[in-house]
Amino acid sequence: MPLVDIHHLSRSYGTVRALDDVTLSLEPGTIGLVGNNGAGKSTLLKLLLGLLQPDSGGGSILGCDITRSARQLRGQVGYMSESAATVPVLKGVEFVTLAGDLYGMPHRDARRRAHEVLDYVGLGELRYRRLEEYSTGNVQRLKLAAALVHDPRLLLLDEPTNGLDPAGRAAMLALLEDLIAETGKSVILCTHLLGDVERLCRQVVVLDRGRVVRNGTVQELRSAAGDCYQLGWQGAGDAFLTALRDAGAVVARQADHRALASVPEGWSTARFFELAAASDAVIDFLAPDEENLERLFFRVTGPPAARLQQV
Amino acid sequence: MPIDNAHYHGWQGSLRSPWLATLALVRVALLQVLRRKLYWIVLALGLAQFFLYWSIIYAVTQLDPPPAARERMLEAFGFSAQPQPGRPSGYILFMERQSVVVMILLAFSGSVLVGSDFRLGSLPFYLSRRIDRRHYIAGKLLAIGAVVSLLTTVPALMLFIEYGMFTSSTDYWIDNWRLPVEVIAYGAVLAATLSVLLVTLSAYLQRLAPIAITWSSLFVLLPLLRSALVRETHNRYWNLIDPWRDMSLVGRLAFGDFDSPFERRLALWALAILSAISAAMLVALVRRVRSVDVVE
Repeated sequence: MPLVDIHHLSRSYGTVRALDDVTLSLEPGTIGLVGNNGAGKSTLLKLLLGLLQPDSGGGSILGCDITRSARQLRGQVGYMSESAATVPVLKGVEFVTLAGDLYGMPHRDARRRAHEVLDYVGLGELRYRRLEEYSTGNVQRLKLAAALVHDPRLLLLDEPTNGLDPAGRAAMLALLEDLIAETGKSVILCTHLLGDVERLCRQVVVLDRGRVVRNGTVQELRSAAGDCYQLGWQGAGDAFLTALRDAGAVVARQADHRALASVPEGWSTARFFELAAASDAVIDFLAPDEENLERLFFRVTGPPAARLQQV
Repeated sequence: MPIDNAHYHGWQGSLRSPWLATLALVRVALLQVLRRKLYWIVLALGLAQFFLYWSIIYAVTQLDPPPAARERMLEAFGFSAQPQPGRPSGYILFMERQSVVVMILLAFSGSVLVGSDFRLGSLPFYLSRRIDRRHYIAGKLLAIGAVVSLLTTVPALMLFIEYGMFTSSTDYWIDNWRLPVEVIAYGAVLAATLSVLLVTLSAYLQRLAPIAITWSSLFVLLPLLRSALVRETHNRYWNLIDPWRDMSLVGRLAFGDFDSPFERRLALWALAILSAISAAMLVALVRRVRSVDVVE
């Protein structure tokens, strides 16, 4: 059964079209949901949580119809919000127990389970402290515990490393990696930090102006950019680069003896050495250049400067 | 077998109706109130009157005078354990005397129990679980209702039980079964009206100072204004601008014990006014809660 299976989903707020004919089929796993502000991420999250009805289209999440089974859906989804969203005066264990109660767990189960998940996220020692005494990193862990308390099949994590220092971010990512590896739970990670997506997610959905502009595994998206190589050489560089261009490669010089070359389909790496030898140059470095997610993101949604001009 | 805390453990069980989650909201709200020292001071003030009457009833019943003398002794302390034709019973008067403390306690509670949910962004925490806005609103109304009842209905019922217990007879409880029903009816009117008003005001005003100012204007200034207007104009309809008086009149509607037909007509007007205000407040509250985005 697919994790998310939605067809031709649209949703508008007044005249603004937040989601425009979105069709998505996602298999269980870890999925990164990325997009600029206003891309439609929040609207999609609301639909995934059953908090919003679409204007048109439909589908199912974890087998629950998104237009008819909102409450059943939320029973199977754990949501970790971006905002602080805590309840003052409560102690850690009371907060997580309350989350369990609000999901509809029997109170005793919620209480027992709160202790378990607090131990799991590393807050066992702090469980009886009031929430006001928690650091930002610990609040993030606490929110993760509250999302896990009813053992959901899908976790929706909205900016889980938001506001954390580098050490806190690394710790949170390690915890999430461990959780995904150990439990096999499906995770939809909504973040602006593309490094987090690269580290945790197998699949990426890129949203732009309410539409899905890319959907695939991280590897697929990278390879779709075409073959790209980093080159280093000694000898007659200008002649070598001219030869590469004549052979159909797109070349960008990065330093005196360094360049980035995007080559046409069917290119063999032996061709680099042949052209270098013909140009009195010797290749001393050759490596495939994998496009990182940030470059991919700007390639499909447009560079930041271009977007600013649109605004 | 040692407990393995380092690894994730699943949970299997069935989820209950989200309406039961409103009880969790009430429990947490009472925790939030009782964890603050300031509330204990106000609660102590509110319970002082209860303990005073408790002691008086105990002392008078232990002296064991004839029933008529016992009633006169209680009336000397401003309390009556017997139904009074055309007048509220001692239990209802006790609840009315609690109004100042109830008002102070609620002025403080509003910002903690409701205002902070909006101000500190706790509302998405509630609404992203398996409950929706109806359950959240019901939970908060019940929570404020519980705080009100703790200071009014519960102690009044305890005084009723005490009096029957110390007069060594169940006859008092059986003969006067209308008294606790009257207490419960008045308590329900107080809890329902005050909770709708407070939750709505707190949802909009959020911080302690504006809530306290508005609240005291409603429940201190309006009664003062009412007495001045009635005195100057001799028009008793001005009584209707006093919310305490309106709630008292509506509470008495349960058993129709009024001095005059005019009082009864006033009570019906009070019912209409309170119903209209509560309905308008409820609509405003629903709109306010609906405007909060769960996913930002």
